[in-house]
Amino acid sequence: MPFRTLMFRALALVALAIVALPGPARAQDALQPALQAFADDLASPSRRTIESVVITLIEQDHPNIGEFLRRYSAREVVQRPEDGLFFYAEDAGALVRLVDIDSGEAVAEVSSRDVTQIRTNSGVQRVIAAALVPLELNAPERERRMAALDAISRSPDASQIAPLAESVERETDASLKTRKERLLLLLQAQFAQDRAVQLSAIAALGGDTSIEARGVLNRLTATVTEVALALPEGANIARVLNVGTDLTEAAAYELLVSAALAEPAQTPAMLREVLAENIVDGRVGGVPVGRLSDPAARIEAYEALEAAGTVPPRAAPDEAAQAVAAHVFFDRYTLDDAEITAAAQAALDSTQQAIAAYQVADLVLDGLSLASIFFLAAIGLAITFGVMGVINMAHGEFIMMGAYTGYVVQLFIPDYTISLLVALPLAFLVTFGAGVAMERSVIRHLYKRPLETLLATFGISIALQQLAKNIFGTQARPLTAPDWLGGALQINDIVGISTIRVAIFVLALIFLALLLYILKRTRLGLEVRAVTQNPGMAASMGINPDRINMLTFGLGSGIAGIAGVAIGLYAQVTSEMGANYIVQSFMTVVVGGVGNVWGTLAGASLIGFLQKGIEWFNPSNTLAAQTYMVLFVILFIQFRPKGIVALRGRAAGD
Amino acid sequence: MAKTTLAPKKGFLSENPSVLRFLGLLTVFTLIVTALAEGFGAGVISTSFLKVLGMTLCLCLIAVAMDVVWGYCGILSLGHFAFFGLGGYGIGMWLMYARTEGIVRTSLANAPIPATEGEVRDAIASQIFSVVGSTELPFIWGFAHSLTLQLLLIVLVPGLLALVFGWLAFRSRVTGVYLSILTQAMTLALSLYLFQNDTGLRGNNGLSGLQNIPGLLHLPQSTIALWFFWASALALGLGYLLFAWLVSGKFGSVVRAIRDNENRVRFLGYHVESYKLVVFTATAIVSGIAGALYYPQAGIINPAEIAPITSIYLAVWVAIGGRGRLYGAVIGAATVSLLSSWFTGGGAPNIDLGFYRIVWTDWWLVLLGLGFVAVTLFFPKGIGGLFDYLVRKP
Repeated sequence: MPFRTLMFRALALVALAIVALPGPARAQDALQPALQAFADDLASPSRRTIESVVITLIEQDHPNIGEFLRRYSAREVVQRPEDGLFFYAEDAGALVRLVDIDSGEAVAEVSSRDVTQIRTNSGVQRVIAAALVPLELNAPERERRMAALDAISRSPDASQIAPLAESVERETDASLKTRKERLLLLLQAQFAQDRAVQLSAIAALGGDTSIEARGVLNRLTATVTEVALALPEGANIARVLNVGTDLTEAAAYELLVSAALAEPAQTPAMLREVLAENIVDGRVGGVPVGRLSDPAARIEAYEALEAAGTVPPRAAPDEAAQAVAAHVFFDRYTLDDAEITAAAQAALDSTQQAIAAYQVADLVLDGLSLASIFFLAAIGLAITFGVMGVINMAHGEFIMMGAYTGYVVQLFIPDYTISLLVALPLAFLVTFGAGVAMERSVIRHLYKRPLETLLATFGISIALQQLAKNIFGTQARPLTAPDWLGGALQINDIVGISTIRVAIFVLALIFLALLLYILKRTRLGLEVRAVTQNPGMAASMGINPDRINMLTFGLGSGIAGIAGVAIGLYAQVTSEMGANYIVQSFMTVVVGGVGNVWGTLAGASLIGFLQKGIEWFNPSNTLAAQTYMVLFVILFIQFRPKGIVALRGRAAGD
Repeated sequence: MAKTTLAPKKGFLSENPSVLRFLGLLTVFTLIVTALAEGFGAGVISTSFLKVLGMTLCLCLIAVAMDVVWGYCGILSLGHFAFFGLGGYGIGMWLMYARTEGIVRTSLANAPIPATEGEVRDAIASQIFSVVGSTELPFIWGFAHSLTLQLLLIVLVPGLLALVFGWLAFRSRVTGVYLSILTQAMTLALSLYLFQNDTGLRGNNGLSGLQNIPGLLHLPQSTIALWFFWASALALGLGYLLFAWLVSGKFGSVVRAIRDNENRVRFLGYHVESYKLVVFTATAIVSGIAGALYYPQAGIINPAEIAPITSIYLAVWVAIGGRGRLYGAVIGAATVSLLSSWFTGGGAPNIDLGFYRIVWTDWWLVLLGLGFVAVTLFFPKGIGGLFDYLVRKP
């Protein structure tokens, strides 16, 4: 039974093959004869000659012409010298397999030296690509349609409007259809013959924040600054420039000079050159050279030369001002059609509004992510400093320790996702241990002398930093984020945020929730708050203050370790990374209000948003933004010494 | 007070024998170093080491100032190195301007037409600021041509900054840890400001070539180093005398009372803020002078010198030396900075443990850090505290 089935299938296959076998191609549909008509041009193509050939071939509407031109352009077509026929060439080991253009059958396998490969240069390829666009726009494969759209956006011109408009109707893919419609708008806005179509296309581009749309509108509204004696009649003037407000007098005079309407002004350097050329017997125009260190004497000497006729007359002091006043300066649209430029300007204005809105959104995202970084770095400190009153200068080194823990884990576990999942709790454990050890050995002896914890922990800080340098070296170590954290959430061309920053934001939120839960809802939190408010009373209630202090310090340090892993993911891991955060972290805690998790959140938000806000005014200078931010913090503390969220009543202590 | 003004000096010195002892030791030290120096005496002390000694004396001076503000007045300022740096920048501006002016004038001397003052200024500006891509002299360099004005600025700039900052901070009763963090923020803001290229002090390039003193270029460095060493010793001696006098009288008692309990002093009717402001400003001015003497010996100043960490080091020196006694600050600063240069300069012999070789340039900071911890924990009175065992008070 199985055998019979198999037999039957084999027979059916053979029958099918016989039926499907292409017969001799019908003469009027065969491409080869049509190609032979242009054999010379096709065999040695040049950019100038190929265009008419390609257009003629396309007009003849052969079913295979699209594929032929594509493969021809890709240098996959060869010519056999004996009979001048064209073939597709396919690789067959050392030989070249010749494939018939019409039938698609392999004809022969020959050495590559027996046929001539037709080498199309890039100019020819461009011509062919452009000619193919209308064909490709309706190609059955999505990729080819997409490539055709790319080709249009690279080099748009008027001839593409018609085929594009026609292909929009036939497009079935929704996303490609919107892209085609947008591209059509872009083309119409620039090249449409029908003014109504062009105006409506321009209006439709308003509010579109994509770079292409803005580029088109900017091209339409491009201006040149010109100068003339009077405003030219009928010119499409964008605006008249006021000397003094819109441009300086010096810049205006420059324009006059470059428009050949005025002589270049004499600079002091030029004056010196001229004088140096006219030294006669140690004198210039009768003035001794020794006196020429005085600018007034130089002018005197020049005027003497001028009177003698050796040098051209000098411009009068107010000549430049008069020349500028006599002319009118204006921006002129390069496009003469006022209606079009006005429409484009209006569209551009509405785009600008949209952009401004998006920029604010982007700024908010930036500020949010910076705030969450500050929050993460400072939250551990908020516990040790804010709740316990210990100035832990080594807090930054705990951050560094966490980051190096992540780095070491990655050395052992190559999978970034798993290593991250291992590193987070491990970093907590390592820094928790370090924190507890430090509290037990050093800090508990200093609770009565809070300022001196600063010195002792500073000592620990520089020791740890140098230790890290000795172990890991001075160069930055990478802490690589897993791929799923590597990308960015790009909402449009303006608003975007990297995934890792979103993750840090989420991490900050988790910490906030976790910490609030621990402090407000657990036994440990209750005891921590009791010990902070009044250790003696807490002890008499059966709480062991030593144990609580130890755990609290460990908790704060452990959180610093986790923050270290998070910070290490987007910044590099160095022995100095902790020191970069320590001052800012202290400021965050102080500005927010000591002894309060919400305060730290407020402080981090204020500092983060403020820094991004200042940066927005002068994006190139982040140092200036930081400077002003610190100055603001100094002033802020003057007016609210207890921070944003100030504790009141008994909890505030002294 | 009114009675003692007739002969305050005699009474002051006889009441404080340690001041006389210190000044005597300083004089002896200066004389010995002079006798051994390359530029004057036997040549046992090299010029570079002489500079290190001179710089150490400047550091001792700022440590004394720090001791007054922290050890006596209880303000843990983490900003005094900012004043020190401002003093350094103040003198550095004149040194750099005047030296560049000399170079420019020499190179322009051969020009066919003598240069105007404006041209000289432009040439100086483009020489100094080409490194940050500018050719214009910033307005803060407006006094740089005059040594007198610039010396005045060395006193005025740190003084005014301290006055304004202190007035703001003390007025709103920021105390303790918060004040420390506030002063640290001030230092951070200043160093960030100086790190910018467009603020007129050459960004992180700083000012360099400060060891060449204009007008004294014909003298060998060994002589100049000796002069600066003497000047530093004189400044330390005068500063020590000034502060010892300041903290010994009634003023000093009030200041120490503020350290111990600010509120009680306020309740007694003293205007606490004024006292703190005087102490803060005076120490800032002395810090600026110390910086102005330090950086011509160091030869270069850049914003990293003002970074907050240096001011913490200063506090640590004073703590190691012993707070609340001026000679303690001197001992602390001298010990730690000389040890630092000995260890990091490769002077200390490396120790071979067999399985590991301790290279001190790598391990010195670890040792220093642990040393801080040990001193804080076990010797809260610092090295100076040891003297208490020697000199038992009746």
